[in-house]
Amino acid sequence: MSTIEAAAENAHDAHGHDHDHPSFLAHHFDTPEQQFDSGKLGIWLFLVTEILFFSGMFCAYAIFRMLRPDVFEGCSQFLNTKLGAINTGVLLFSSLTMAWAVRCSQVKQDRGLVAMLAATLSCAMIFLGVKAIEYSHKWEMGLLPAGLYFYDPANPHPESHTNYLFYICLPFMILLGGVVAWLVVSLATRNKFHVQCAMPLTVAAACFFVGIGLGMVLESGGSEHAADEYQAHATTELEQTAAIQLVSSGESEVLESLATESNTGIQSELSARQRQLENAGTAIVQEGDEIAGAIVSVEENVMTQRKAGVFFSIYYCMTGVHAIHILVGIGFLVWLLVRAVRQDFNPQYFGPVDYVGLYWHLVDLIWIYLFPLLYLIR
Amino acid sequence: MSAGSIPSGDQIKDPGYPTASENYLTNSKGALSWLFTLDHKRIGVMYLIGVMTAFFAAGLLALLIRLHLFRPDGAVFTGPEANNWYNQVFTLHGAIMVFLFIIPSIPAALGNFLVPVMLGAKDVAFPRLNLSSFYLWVFGAIFFVGALMASGLDTGWTFYTPYSTTTDTSVILATSGAFILGFSSIFTGLNFIVTINTMRPPGMTWFRMPLFLWATYATSIIQVLATPVLGITLLLLIAERVMHIGIFDPEFNGDPVTFQHFFWFYSHPAVYIMILPAFGVISDLISVHSHKRIFGYRFIAYSSIAIALLGFLVWGHHMFTAGMGPMTTIIFSALTFTVSVPSAIKVFNWLATMYKGSISLTTPMCFAIAFIFLFTIGGLTGLHLGTLATDMHLHDTYFVVAHFHYVMVGGTLVSFLGALFHWWPKMFGKMYSETGGRLAAVIIFLGFNLTFLPQFVLGSRGMPRRYATYDPEFQTLHQISTIGTLLLGVGLLVALFVLLRSLVKGERAPANPWGGATLEWQCTSPPPFYNFERPPAVGDPYDFSDIFWDTENERYVTVEPDRKIAPAEQPEPAHAEGTH
Amino acid sequence: MFVLGDAPAGDYAWFPENASTFAADNDWLFGMISIVCIIFFIPIAFALFYFALKYQKPKGAPAESDTSHNTPLELAWSIGPSFFLVGMFVFGAKAYLDHRTVPDGANEVGLQGFKWGWTFNYGGGVYNPELHILIDEPTKLSMRSSDVIHSVFVPAFRAKKDVVPGRYNYMWFKPTVATEKVSDAELQAAIEATKAAGGEWDHDRWQFTKDGYRFFDLYCTEYCGKNHSKMQTVVVVHETLEDLNAWIEKYSKRQEETNPVEYGETLYNQRGCKGCHSIDGSKRVGPSFQESFGNNRVFASGEAIVADENYIRESILYPKAKVVAGYQPVMPSYKGQLSDDDIYCLIEYLKTVSAHSGKTEGGENIEASSSEDALSDAETATE
Repeated sequence: MSTIEAAAENAHDAHGHDHDHPSFLAHHFDTPEQQFDSGKLGIWLFLVTEILFFSGMFCAYAIFRMLRPDVFEGCSQFLNTKLGAINTGVLLFSSLTMAWAVRCSQVKQDRGLVAMLAATLSCAMIFLGVKAIEYSHKWEMGLLPAGLYFYDPANPHPESHTNYLFYICLPFMILLGGVVAWLVVSLATRNKFHVQCAMPLTVAAACFFVGIGLGMVLESGGSEHAADEYQAHATTELEQTAAIQLVSSGESEVLESLATESNTGIQSELSARQRQLENAGTAIVQEGDEIAGAIVSVEENVMTQRKAGVFFSIYYCMTGVHAIHILVGIGFLVWLLVRAVRQDFNPQYFGPVDYVGLYWHLVDLIWIYLFPLLYLIR
Repeated sequence: MSAGSIPSGDQIKDPGYPTASENYLTNSKGALSWLFTLDHKRIGVMYLIGVMTAFFAAGLLALLIRLHLFRPDGAVFTGPEANNWYNQVFTLHGAIMVFLFIIPSIPAALGNFLVPVMLGAKDVAFPRLNLSSFYLWVFGAIFFVGALMASGLDTGWTFYTPYSTTTDTSVILATSGAFILGFSSIFTGLNFIVTINTMRPPGMTWFRMPLFLWATYATSIIQVLATPVLGITLLLLIAERVMHIGIFDPEFNGDPVTFQHFFWFYSHPAVYIMILPAFGVISDLISVHSHKRIFGYRFIAYSSIAIALLGFLVWGHHMFTAGMGPMTTIIFSALTFTVSVPSAIKVFNWLATMYKGSISLTTPMCFAIAFIFLFTIGGLTGLHLGTLATDMHLHDTYFVVAHFHYVMVGGTLVSFLGALFHWWPKMFGKMYSETGGRLAAVIIFLGFNLTFLPQFVLGSRGMPRRYATYDPEFQTLHQISTIGTLLLGVGLLVALFVLLRSLVKGERAPANPWGGATLEWQCTSPPPFYNFERPPAVGDPYDFSDIFWDTENERYVTVEPDRKIAPAEQPEPAHAEGTH
Repeated sequence: MFVLGDAPAGDYAWFPENASTFAADNDWLFGMISIVCIIFFIPIAFALFYFALKYQKPKGAPAESDTSHNTPLELAWSIGPSFFLVGMFVFGAKAYLDHRTVPDGANEVGLQGFKWGWTFNYGGGVYNPELHILIDEPTKLSMRSSDVIHSVFVPAFRAKKDVVPGRYNYMWFKPTVATEKVSDAELQAAIEATKAAGGEWDHDRWQFTKDGYRFFDLYCTEYCGKNHSKMQTVVVVHETLEDLNAWIEKYSKRQEETNPVEYGETLYNQRGCKGCHSIDGSKRVGPSFQESFGNNRVFASGEAIVADENYIRESILYPKAKVVAGYQPVMPSYKGQLSDDDIYCLIEYLKTVSAHSGKTEGGENIEASSSEDALSDAETATE
């Protein structure tokens, strides 16, 4: 690659092209405008492919919702609207910070750009943290795609389950450990650039655990009173500080706190489950019941592998693919953050920020559709 | 007019030959300079090597299939697993041909080389994305080889559920491969759309674009719009196998026909990904080798776009017997007929272009003529299949096999070969043996017809497709078909030999060996790595009045009369000629 | 395409025998489309080669004409052919609606596709891998699949329909040609030759069934795995209702030469026992047959007996009388659907699969050998 580019550069010199090619302008473009327009058209086309990619799943959703409305109604009771709502809020806020970041890059506010990108990243991490809580609770209950589904209304919390939350958190703990180590090393060596990169990344990585905490608090809620909510907020703040403290302490402490937290989560899940069970119209066959009646009620129960499984399949496919898009977006945001610290962007060259911004808005937009479709419509 | 009649006093324009440091093939050396190149021409050449390897592999599988069918009880594979072997071979033949050869053949291999040069640009809009889509192709191919090595694949290239969710072969590896290849295809299409939209030099208006670019543009639209749906379908299929998500698998309350809808929503437009670039190639070939302006430029250009859009509405015709409602079926049949109109327009336009032309029966022209003949048969037999009542009889028989081979092989492959012979001097700077090339074209034409004409009859007599063994009453026709395959194979080997020989012993190619007027003939053969020193003066791509044959040097030259004025559109100030 | 002329029907030129009401429509339409195609193709091919030769010029010679377009001409050849297309579409759609509209009073035959064979259900408990129908009477097939997608194709009837698991598809046809019966001498010779060769009936060799009827082929046309190409059976069209009924009668009970255990196994597979009762001890909706005959059975009411012939007979005819503890009383009664001989055969079969049938060691052996038989049976059935 380098040889070709070097040769290309030579050629330009040799043939005396006197376009003044700034360093950010690729050799095959004539003007920054042409480069920006190409990128913009490219990203819009890419977003079209993304929409079509998701449209397949929206079609599957529509088909099965049409075929089995009762299953979708019954099953969506098992999704925690509060967690969905908080995630919607977090993502909307991240869209705001992302748009702000684009603005900062256009007017050459480098510090503002770094701050806004870090804020967007943190929101993304909080989103994933909340999602981790949602997923792990459903996995423990056996609310899984059709083939793996083992939810049993009579025994929703089987004793010997794996601690899924721990396994989800593990990579993020390693990540957090990594960036903290990076921060410490760069602080020690007084490398300003590295410190500037590692600092916001540490905050963002820690935000995953903020999301975990937030998720646990809300999951355990069931609180209708403002006072309770207030308390929840307070707890969140505590969690936040705790998570940041945990950063400096070892991983074992993180683990301990998670274990206790997940216990309360499970307790709350139990009460939520009972409510949902009534809504779903599940009847456990009682002894002495009319036998034919029992068969009928078994048929009507939507919480069976063949019926509910399909809902949870679609739920996991849609939210899972969306979460993968969040992860990819996080990758791009980190890349932008490093370049922003390097002060690569200027009013003539802010394309990458703009493109990632568009991508991020799309990911946000898809969630805006997923949330009502899966959580709200009943 | 002959050589003597080149108007004297006018300016003869010929770029001559590139120096070794300009030639894109030699300006940097070493394997790494190729593997990490961002030059669209080198990426095109790497694609070319890749797709031809895939074609060779899948061609050998085709030969195995035909040899096996020489006897009713199967001639090649024996023993208790014979049918499994046959099923794996026909599946891999189809999957490799479709995903690794036909879809990337013209758009990715030739398109990468030609689009920027024909457009007058220095490169595609996103060279890194271009290189990554090539490597995605390689990864996809590795997954397919992996599937072959692991436990094979026996689902047919269509991966129909629930067979694909229950078979114990490596469906996941193969679908992952197809998924990755889908992204390769999306990135190529996206790159071309952006390139054609934003990289046109001054003077290159939409209606001065060669028809190959129109066809590529239409193809790219399909690639970008249809492939993501294949992506999600394959992803759901993988999820179905791993977790039994119950969307496609009836055992978990899913619906297999939904899979077919999803699959064909991509795969029918994919047929046009395969054939549209071929239309573009043939439009250019016919015009250049007839030395006559293409007839009905706008009709051909618009019909490409029309096919691209209509192609999205006809996927249901693959499922006429699957159990859709009668109304849906009838609507899909009606829509299917509409696609045939733009295809017919093109055939008539090509004939009108040849009429009163100055035809040189060069190798590419022979392939172009073969294309028109074979594609017309392929297109017309589509009418039998689009008509509902006859499709009830012909669906999933050898009639369908023959029909789509006439379109895919007689159409796409033949035009790919024609394009290869047409642009070979430009790509590698060598002339090949014309006699050898024409001989190859004739053998391929005869071998192809001998292979697939009998299959129409087999189909109408009721021979179902994908049969490892068959009833003895079909034997004679199967044997004729197998003999045809051998002939076809010989023809392809001759073509390969002619091309490879030219690399070693071929004469140096002039800049314009055929007398083409499009921009790629205005740079040297092979082109310099920067394509054009400065944005080229763009004229009418099909105006041959200024091109003359120079007998002395065996080349065509462009004679620029003094009256020629500046390009119609005022160039942008940023790269006006004056700044140079 | 250009060699496909107007097909002379019936003599194996372009089509197999013309044997249903659809065939005439289809062949006529196919011929019409082919003629239209030829009308277009011959001038195109002629012009193609004629122009290529006529206008061949030495290099450098300018073209005789420089016309770039001719809009009226182009519009004419864009719109002109559309009229032919409309015609094809209309005729095709009309004939297609015939395929989809089952006439009232059609005889109904059930069809189940499985890897790799077909079972036809004639009602009254008669199941057979061959399709036997009556001439000039519409027959409707109600089709389902127990595993993957299959497709029924009878070339002589020009009819085809996919068999999709998870849903019922249907098709119908009205045969117009009967498949005649070969002479007894010929049949006898074939049967003896088959016995000498090892007992497997070869439809392709004799071109008639083992009852001596000539037949039309029925193929599976949706790829379904290893033996997709072996998934064929025969369609026999009877001249008279009496003849058809006689054939059905013949297969409604066990043949004299069939061994009761084998027949019992066929019944187990075909009559729905298999869906709920395993023979390998695994628990399905009902108790496994491995723990049935000769075992202690404890019922929901608390009492217990050793399962014997009478118990099994009672369970088949009155399933709710004694329900094994741990199971729901969901089995339907087979009263009137299985003859005494059928029940006898089933009991004989149950004895062979039971783990405690009083001859434990031998039982295992019989089970092993009978499952091998089952395999070979399944293979012969698909032939």
